[in-house]
Amino acid sequence: MIDEMSMSELEADSLMEIFNIGVGHAAAAMSSIVNEEVRMSVPSIRITTRSEAADELGAGLSLCGISQQYKGAYATEAILMFPERASFEIVRMMVGDLIPADELGEMEREAMCEIGNIVLNACVGTLANMFQKELEGSLPVFRVGSSEQILNPGHDNADPSVLMLRIDFSLERQQIEGYLAFILDMSALRDLREQVRLYIARLESGMAPDGL
Amino acid sequence: MPEHILIVDDSRLSRMISRQYVLSLHKDWNIEEAATGEQAIDMAAEKQPYLILLDVNMPGMGGLAAAAILRQSHPDTHIVLLTANVQNSVQVQADQLGLGFLSKPIKEADIHAMLNALEPSV
Repeated sequence: MIDEMSMSELEADSLMEIFNIGVGHAAAAMSSIVNEEVRMSVPSIRITTRSEAADELGAGLSLCGISQQYKGAYATEAILMFPERASFEIVRMMVGDLIPADELGEMEREAMCEIGNIVLNACVGTLANMFQKELEGSLPVFRVGSSEQILNPGHDNADPSVLMLRIDFSLERQQIEGYLAFILDMSALRDLREQVRLYIARLESGMAPDGL
Repeated sequence: MPEHILIVDDSRLSRMISRQYVLSLHKDWNIEEAATGEQAIDMAAEKQPYLILLDVNMPGMGGLAAAAILRQSHPDTHIVLLTANVQNSVQVQADQLGLGFLSKPIKEADIHAMLNALEPSV
């Protein structure tokens, strides 16, 4: 894995730790939205294709996904995914009694976009702060479909290798599981690796890193 | 005295939540809503709001560009960014423009604390 990414052990370790911190912020944001504890796994990181990643999630799974494209110091697509059947419950947990249930249905899609916007930005914003770089994010896009339709919406037949960071999370009380994924193409991986190197260099030169 | 507030967010849900949290502290305040920065600029000219709550990541010109214009045209209006974009660069720009900053998810306690900290209008 480290060889595939052309990263030293320290660089790979740093990348995992930086994402761990970002994921922690995403978990805090998610927890604040749904008012319950959110458990998140350690990020898994691997070189794969979008189709393979979709197969690993489960081909028969019907998901809703909220994705945002980020560009700047490096480019990445960030996707928050839930089982489709859980989305209304998550929105209901977010708004509580603020909005009547009969009005909520028509807002479900929009509400999920906002939830994705908050959770994804909590993570990506933390990473940008730690790298001391700005990332510009697109507006969130909402999709419903199979894991293949969510992770490979362009049906890219070439399906080139990408770096996939995946975090599984669960809302235990409601027994809802979800997934957070960051996808980088190989040129973006080189840019990300450069940011990790700069981060380590700042650390080694005694400059206090942001975000820790 | 009832105040006019403008809530600017492309998410209808977020506008509804912000509205509820403002009204839970000030039931008689008048709240207007806009979904883009462009709409906000037009509505601010008409309504002369006491406070503008402004999202950043929106279609069109976006919240920061709108804030820069609103800061010039309404120097006495309180403008507070209410955004999921927690990057330091956004907070620095907010400071430079003299804006408040609140991060999403929107919390009632944060809205109330911000409202309580504002100076009452004359």
